[in-house]
Amino acid sequence: MINPHPGLPELQYVKPATLQEASKFLADNAGVAKPYSGGTDSFVRLRDGILKLDYLVDIKGLEGTKELSFDPQKGLTIGAAITMNQVARHPDVLKHYPNLAEAAESVASYQLRNRATIIGNICNASPAGDTIGTCMILDGVLKVHGVDGVRAVSLSSFFLAPGRTVLKPGDVVVAVQLPIPPKGLVGTYKKLGRNRIGDLSIVAVAVLGYPTPESASGYRFRIALASVAPVPFESFKAEGVLSGNKITAELIDEAAGATMDSVTPIDDVRGSARYRKQMVKNLTREALTEVWTKLSK
Amino acid sequence: MANAKSKEQVVNPIGASFTRNDVYEKVTGSAVYADDIQFGNKLLYARAKRSPYPHALIKKIDISKAEALPGVKVVVTGKDFPNRIGLYLQDKTIFATDRVRFIGEPVAAVAAISEEVAMKAVELIEVEYEELEAVFDAEFGASDKAPLIHPDLDKYVCPNFIFPKAGTNIANHFKIRKGDVSSAWDKCAYVVERSFKIPHIQHVPIETHIAIAQMDEKGKVTVWASSQSPFAQRNLIAHALHISQSDLRVIAPLVGGGFGSKAGVTMEAIPVALATKCKGWPVKFLLTREEEFYTNFVRQGLTIHVKVGCDKEGNLLALKNMMYWDGGASTEYGTNVTRAGGYSSSGPYDIPNVETDSICVYTNHPIGGAYRGFGMSELHTGLDQAIDELAEKAGVDKVTFLKKNGVAEGDVLVTGMIMHKNGIQECIDNVAKSLKMNEKEKPSSPDRLRGKGIAAMWKAPAMPPNPGSSAWVEMSEDGNVTVGLGGQEIGQGTFTVMAQMAAAALGVPYEKVRIAGPVDTQYSPYEWQTVASRLTWSMGNAVVLAAKDARRQILETVAEAWKESTDDLDIINGVVVSYKSERETSLENIVIYGMPKENNEGWTGGPIVGRGSFMPKYVTNLDAETGQGPRAVVHYTVGCEGLDIEIDKNTGTIYVLKGAASFDVGKAINPALVKAQVEGGFAQGLSSAMFEEIKLVKGVMTNPSFVDYRIATAPDMDFPLDTPFVEVPQDDGPWGARGVGEHPMVPTIAALGNAIYDATGIRLTNPPYSAEKIYLAMLDKGLVK
Amino acid sequence: MTLKTITLTVNDLVETVDVPQNMTLLQMIREKLSLTGTKNGCAAGECGACTVLMNGEPVNSCMVLAAECEGANIVTVEGLAKAGKLSTLQDTIIEAGGVQCGFCTPGMLISATALLKRNPNPTDSEIRSAIVGNLCRCTGYVRIVDAIKMAAK
Repeated sequence: MINPHPGLPELQYVKPATLQEASKFLADNAGVAKPYSGGTDSFVRLRDGILKLDYLVDIKGLEGTKELSFDPQKGLTIGAAITMNQVARHPDVLKHYPNLAEAAESVASYQLRNRATIIGNICNASPAGDTIGTCMILDGVLKVHGVDGVRAVSLSSFFLAPGRTVLKPGDVVVAVQLPIPPKGLVGTYKKLGRNRIGDLSIVAVAVLGYPTPESASGYRFRIALASVAPVPFESFKAEGVLSGNKITAELIDEAAGATMDSVTPIDDVRGSARYRKQMVKNLTREALTEVWTKLSK
Repeated sequence: MANAKSKEQVVNPIGASFTRNDVYEKVTGSAVYADDIQFGNKLLYARAKRSPYPHALIKKIDISKAEALPGVKVVVTGKDFPNRIGLYLQDKTIFATDRVRFIGEPVAAVAAISEEVAMKAVELIEVEYEELEAVFDAEFGASDKAPLIHPDLDKYVCPNFIFPKAGTNIANHFKIRKGDVSSAWDKCAYVVERSFKIPHIQHVPIETHIAIAQMDEKGKVTVWASSQSPFAQRNLIAHALHISQSDLRVIAPLVGGGFGSKAGVTMEAIPVALATKCKGWPVKFLLTREEEFYTNFVRQGLTIHVKVGCDKEGNLLALKNMMYWDGGASTEYGTNVTRAGGYSSSGPYDIPNVETDSICVYTNHPIGGAYRGFGMSELHTGLDQAIDELAEKAGVDKVTFLKKNGVAEGDVLVTGMIMHKNGIQECIDNVAKSLKMNEKEKPSSPDRLRGKGIAAMWKAPAMPPNPGSSAWVEMSEDGNVTVGLGGQEIGQGTFTVMAQMAAAALGVPYEKVRIAGPVDTQYSPYEWQTVASRLTWSMGNAVVLAAKDARRQILETVAEAWKESTDDLDIINGVVVSYKSERETSLENIVIYGMPKENNEGWTGGPIVGRGSFMPKYVTNLDAETGQGPRAVVHYTVGCEGLDIEIDKNTGTIYVLKGAASFDVGKAINPALVKAQVEGGFAQGLSSAMFEEIKLVKGVMTNPSFVDYRIATAPDMDFPLDTPFVEVPQDDGPWGARGVGEHPMVPTIAALGNAIYDATGIRLTNPPYSAEKIYLAMLDKGLVK
Repeated sequence: MTLKTITLTVNDLVETVDVPQNMTLLQMIREKLSLTGTKNGCAAGECGACTVLMNGEPVNSCMVLAAECEGANIVTVEGLAKAGKLSTLQDTIIEAGGVQCGFCTPGMLISATALLKRNPNPTDSEIRSAIVGNLCRCTGYVRIVDAIKMAAK
């Protein structure tokens, strides 16, 4: 039985001046302190009592967290304080990573996206996180500030289990860096919720594709799936199907089928495993067809 | 003729789409809802300790640690408040006493200086339980194998039209026996038999329940509550506390959505109980959204087995309904839902042979209460899909089938009541025309299927035979009119409609009429409850009587002063005119100070105050075994809805292309408000049809938040909706008006189910008709791969 | 718990407020500043009844800590009318009949105001997307969308 607090339970709001200070405070108060940026997930879980904290450590003013910039050599940097809406409307994102803008814009509501952040979405490590898959297949790397200094963590090795990541006490994710996208990249995000828009996903599929001479098919596709596995999941099996042969509608069907075979979703309040499996296939097919149509033009 | 105000262009207030009289406050943020009232720093905050078990005996409650927590003012438990209350069947106590019967049932409550302290105190209350076998299915609950949830059912008080069966979990068994069903099946050329299961849903007012209570040193209690029923609350809470009704005052400001959830008494009794133990301190209790979902009224679930048959031409001959209502842990209100579902169980169709058993069963689920059109959405979801199927079997097109069987003036209804004049034929025609029901149209893409569905409905105000309304009308020096009333403005626009009626009955412009709000049981005239779509009709009648009474007093005053007959006088545009002498005088000259008589003969008149009182007097009880009686209800409002939809073959998602809804409102006092009610009700119906379900697993609601209890949002309602209304006047309604507040959500699930069938050939029986259900059904049928 | 003192601008007035550290912006607006037009419908960022403008952008005020609002510029529904004159949207929502119980109205007006500021000529679909986080249980959104279209003209 959930009987949440009407408001937030008692806690302290801490605003450190430097990353060092933040990491030290978080390490000293491991288990009862958490970095705080948008708060859209933490608040709900604090009210529910699932998350119990003494301190919310506001990282929004810290160095690098407000950065949203594109460098023609290094790619895109999205700081931890950058909201979904800032990402979704940024000209460089729209130009070079439109699929990320699309994923960011699919999150909840406009006013929530003014608080919710990409980094928060990633650190929350929900299997349903809307922007995670896209960041993964764009080869995102996190810049993590810990008590021992700064390190880089690839998103491909970041997630352990629902809500669990490799982050350690004292770690603050400062930013996510996305390298320059491959030339000719086309991407899309297909999300199925219960409502037309704004819901959490029952299933979501992030797909991108680009031409490359390294692949027998002449193209490489990347496919990330949400809400069908304990962690956000890239279907190498389906990608493999598309790399070896000439791309046809039949091959796309086969790849879509492979995504279905590669996942083990659960029954939950949002949807059954059976439906999810079917939807992974259909959404992947739809996404691949759309991407391929654009690529082959 | 110095004053020509009476000759100015007058807008007839009846039938005019005036702007709502509460809207300026609502768009500027100055409108006052219960949580907006300021109580100063003495305000205490209440929280409830709730049962984690669906069914258990309470062995021990220890509140000592909670009481010792600094900041806690008072802790109460059920032992202090043993009196049973309930609107119909008195089966409920404010707190569980010896046993808990659903998850979330309050067993104790705390008032403290802050919500945080109150929450901590709640955690410190220790309750020992002994878990009992629970009932999670109504049909099982009705059987003799089920454990008893209310062993004292035989001792509960209830009115003589509710039939509980002691020694069982059956809180009410309502029966209809009309004609001879068993022999009628042989005469049927076509028969359809289907079962449907309609889930529990929740009202989801955007404002959750809230009440603030304060007891003064003399023991008088004031309650401020978001309420559809201030007078019923006064009565029931006073009863529970053993205090006099006049010592309990309920003040009811604007309501942020009700839909039946704020009718009767639910959580309001908790802050009152706390307030009685800390005299002088106001105690506020605001439900969280999560509590709103499962600790308060929900719409009870229904399992309905329908068997319906017709002759070769498609004339309905026989209907058998077996309904098991999942009433939850208390059926104080739900027993009447069952009754309504029973006495209206034929739907708006003329069927000679009907047998209905409508059984209200106690379960260990949340408590079922009134929900917008209660009983009728659930009934029609089953009945109108079965009829849709029957029409197809009979080879009669669906529109023709509905019209052929539509109930007409003079028809003998299932209760023996004779049907009144109504516009069901026009309503069906309107929908059929709007959606081109006779045309099969192509989907917009090969990835989609297209279908159209139609369903008719009816609903009577479901209430005791004698619910009263009253009103007063008084005036101020400026000639403005104030109407006192006890019905609540819950968004439907009743304050506006009442002002229009008072203006018309009195002869003043609409803008001159104010409503005396908020409703306050200390000053406002009595109103039974703001439920059942009854206010336009019942309170409207009281307001018209009060306005006419005031008008009579004014005319008598003027007649005496001018030495004329009241027959020659009229009030037009706020001016009293004489057709005989052509004299005129404005109301402001009369209504407070009266008038001087001519020739210095003194004065006549005085402050004008009109009174009106209305209560239906013709409704009779029904026979316990047959459900027969001269007049079951006051009247029926009939209507019809339809949907033109597409279904995405890749996901099962429904895309509504167009909706149509047409209801016979008798007379639209304010057409824009009528249409707004229909639009909102249609959306709520469609939301329940596509998304809504309280998901219960062993008594636990697994989706008690907006995250997982989804309701329709603006993008979901992205389609044109046609809402032509029909006006066949009600003989005892003001200007012929009858209510339409609830009706628009009644046939929507059935209309959608019929559209899905038309698109896919699949008959879905268990709403909500989610994309998942539709897709998997298509997959099983081989429509998709 | 120690209070935190913050200074911010609310509806063009500079306010200095002592707030508990777990207090949300919504609670501060309602309880400390008595601006009760902003409503609490879920305290979970889902219903949108508490939507206010923060530095020009709409946010769910239940999802913001008051303590972090130092220097912020907040506009609530009470700040939409200027000098007794209703805003265009306030006028059109009255004219269109987009108000019933009124509980979602303040948040709806704030979301719509922000929409028209960033996109003066929204399509029907853009309007609906912009208010997807503002739940209304009364109107079916029909006349609310009408009102926003009228104001956009």
